[in-house]
Amino acid sequence: MSQIQERGSTHVYKVNKISKEEIESMVARCVYEHPPFCSAACPLKLDVRAFLEAAAAGNFKKALQLYEKAAAFPLVLAAGCEAPCEKRCRLAEIGDAVSIRAVEEAVARFGQAQKPGSVFRTRKKKTVAVFGSGLFALFLAGEIEKKAYPLTVLCEEADLEGFLRCETDFLDEDAFRAELKRLRGKDIQFVFGCTIDAAFFAEKRGAYDVVCASPAVRQRLFPEAASLPELMYCEEERLVSGPCTGVMDAAFGAKKAALTVDRLAQNLDPRNTRGQEGPVDSKLYTDLSAATALTKTPMPGAGYSREEAAAEAGRCIQCHCEECFKSCAYLAHYKKHPGLFAKEIYNNTQIIMGDHQLNKPMNSCALCGQCTVVCPNGVDMARVCLDARRNMVSTDKMPLAPHEFALLDMLFSNEEAFLSRPQPGFESCKYVFFPGCQASAIAPATVKAAYLDLCERLDGGVGLMLGCCGAIGDWAGRTELQEQTKILLDREFGKLGDPIVIAGCPTCKKELAGHEGLQIVGIWDILLKLGLPEGGHGLDRPAALHDSCGARGDESTRNAIRALAEKLGCVLVDTPYSGDRSPCCGYGGLSAYANREVAKELTEKCLARSDAPYISYCMACRDRFAREGRESKHILELLYGTDAGAPPDISEKRYNRLTLKKELLWELWQEETKEMKLDYALDYTGEARGMMDERMILTDDVIAVMDEVRKTGSCIFDEESGLYIACRRIGNATFWVKFSREGDAHYLVHRAWSHRMQVVKREG
Amino acid sequence: MAEKNYYTIDPEGKLTCMKCGVPLIKGKARFMYLDNGFPVELPVCPVCGFVYVPEELALGKVASVERALEDK
Repeated sequence: MSQIQERGSTHVYKVNKISKEEIESMVARCVYEHPPFCSAACPLKLDVRAFLEAAAAGNFKKALQLYEKAAAFPLVLAAGCEAPCEKRCRLAEIGDAVSIRAVEEAVARFGQAQKPGSVFRTRKKKTVAVFGSGLFALFLAGEIEKKAYPLTVLCEEADLEGFLRCETDFLDEDAFRAELKRLRGKDIQFVFGCTIDAAFFAEKRGAYDVVCASPAVRQRLFPEAASLPELMYCEEERLVSGPCTGVMDAAFGAKKAALTVDRLAQNLDPRNTRGQEGPVDSKLYTDLSAATALTKTPMPGAGYSREEAAAEAGRCIQCHCEECFKSCAYLAHYKKHPGLFAKEIYNNTQIIMGDHQLNKPMNSCALCGQCTVVCPNGVDMARVCLDARRNMVSTDKMPLAPHEFALLDMLFSNEEAFLSRPQPGFESCKYVFFPGCQASAIAPATVKAAYLDLCERLDGGVGLMLGCCGAIGDWAGRTELQEQTKILLDREFGKLGDPIVIAGCPTCKKELAGHEGLQIVGIWDILLKLGLPEGGHGLDRPAALHDSCGARGDESTRNAIRALAEKLGCVLVDTPYSGDRSPCCGYGGLSAYANREVAKELTEKCLARSDAPYISYCMACRDRFAREGRESKHILELLYGTDAGAPPDISEKRYNRLTLKKELLWELWQEETKEMKLDYALDYTGEARGMMDERMILTDDVIAVMDEVRKTGSCIFDEESGLYIACRRIGNATFWVKFSREGDAHYLVHRAWSHRMQVVKREG
Repeated sequence: MAEKNYYTIDPEGKLTCMKCGVPLIKGKARFMYLDNGFPVELPVCPVCGFVYVPEELALGKVASVERALEDK
């Protein structure tokens, strides 16, 4: 059988570039990192989601810390905030929005204020002055103090109380006292009782690196000054100030002004590198179906008590877009949202030298396309992972090991086990039945029954083609192998007279659709037209129908299967994520070969949807569900009354394909297959058989080793175990067999293992 | 200068080459993979050069080095 070339060396220092635009276009589809709508609407960028989460947990200290990030004087803000967040709260669409402002007010009142900054805290060198008082001056002083600039406030008021009272008459006495205490704790130097006129200003401004003023002072001293409101800066006067009305506007203006101060203090243009300021757009998707508490918590008093505020905060549904995590076991396993994951996987392909740590994650995706249909923006991890695999194959950086067994299996299907014949009595055929490699491997009797039935009931001749459609080469990113398969199959279809292909597997149907001029139907469509074959019967209990990922986007196939199941008398139970949103069983994308753990989680995710027996229409799904101990039937088994029985191991899957080919060749075409009979007896202990399946070692590999032993006598005897040990290099791996001699030409295999490294004796 | 050995196993006379009828000895061998080489000392037949890779070594150290190199 053909072999596959191992990659030559780890010393490959070139990459095939993936354009930045392509990466960005994929990454941008994921909205996981978009802010929730409440935060997006807040000009002060309060992390409302985290704030409400902390408040709901009763952690008012943390909630207040978050709130103080938005504004240095939380009680002032809470009293005058216009709450644009509440207007955008998603709960407002189905009930009452969360009363965010009232929770903020309670948090500001009950939360433990941060301790005043240490006198030893590091301060910046550049100095800042704020002239005047009022809301803008107050908030700005708070923001500049946060940034650790040595700050002096020069105001006309006689003391701190007077300064704070300016424009804050809406505060009740308790709130005023609390804010006064907070203001006292801040690292700000005050100069009270100033007469702020032009002469005073001109005299004092020179002492500071950056100078700011309240709107009133600016209006008085520079009535003609043109302020840029987005910067809160009068460029000509080199004065940080601007117009603002109301509490929120003052707080937002102070944020902008503080950033301008920061830029000016560093001698940078205040226009540049400001990031996104103010409210932003968000495309976050939120599933509202789980929201239950739709009515706001009553407020018996003037404001919420601690408990009431926590209860109201607890109504927040914590908007996150996790549609893909909820549905896909692969993404849930790696706990990375597609925006980040796609970037990391693309970056993995661009590593010139060093470890490709994302190889395994990239090869673990089932390429099933479920994320694309469940994602509100059509994130496409299959495309990302397949592009990455192809890219790495193209630069010879792709390890062969994770996919070699599957690729060799594909070659086996299309070489030793391949069969293409017209129906007996026909030279060319109207149809050809293409059951798919897994059907022949797992349920050969079903394939045979289906073929005989099609021959009998269809006119024009039905050819048979046993082989692999090429999906395995495609999934491995090996476009060359995929192309070779295409050429082989097209040639064979041509020999049969370019018949209509009757696919037995939805993945084959999808893969063969890539062949130009090929007409393909599913066997399910044919059987629906012909009527049920004799001998079929449904399950006597309700069953869950698992839609194949190969049928994603193929509604007609899914409907045809349901119609057949109904005709068979099956009662189907509803499962979440059925139809187009169906998850992969773990076989797709060669996930099971690259990462058994993820593949198992994918299978378990499928089975967690129902306790009922599963009916599927892809043989790989049938096999993986049966392996997990679930009663599992392929629709063709039900239609033909055949039972494929317990899932075969990897060697039996090959044996089944060869035996089916041999049987059909003899029974239908009277062609005898040369049988390779061993001239010795070879048995396996149960333990050996189990470990061979686990370690992907075929009986053919063991036979090759034993043939070598018999031919050369080369083996060793292990005194400790009393067993013989032999090895043979086959393709890219060395296989070892530990055996006992049970007679002259009779061996019992106890253990088997393999490694890919070559080992040679070295001189010296 | 002698090469550093990454791994050493001494058969201690418990393994016999059936082809040559002699005990395996601790001998010099080299693992090669993807254009990388690792000198080791393994049970080797002094006559025919058969090198023995025990199951624990194949599934342990060898497998982990293979994985590491494959991702280079």
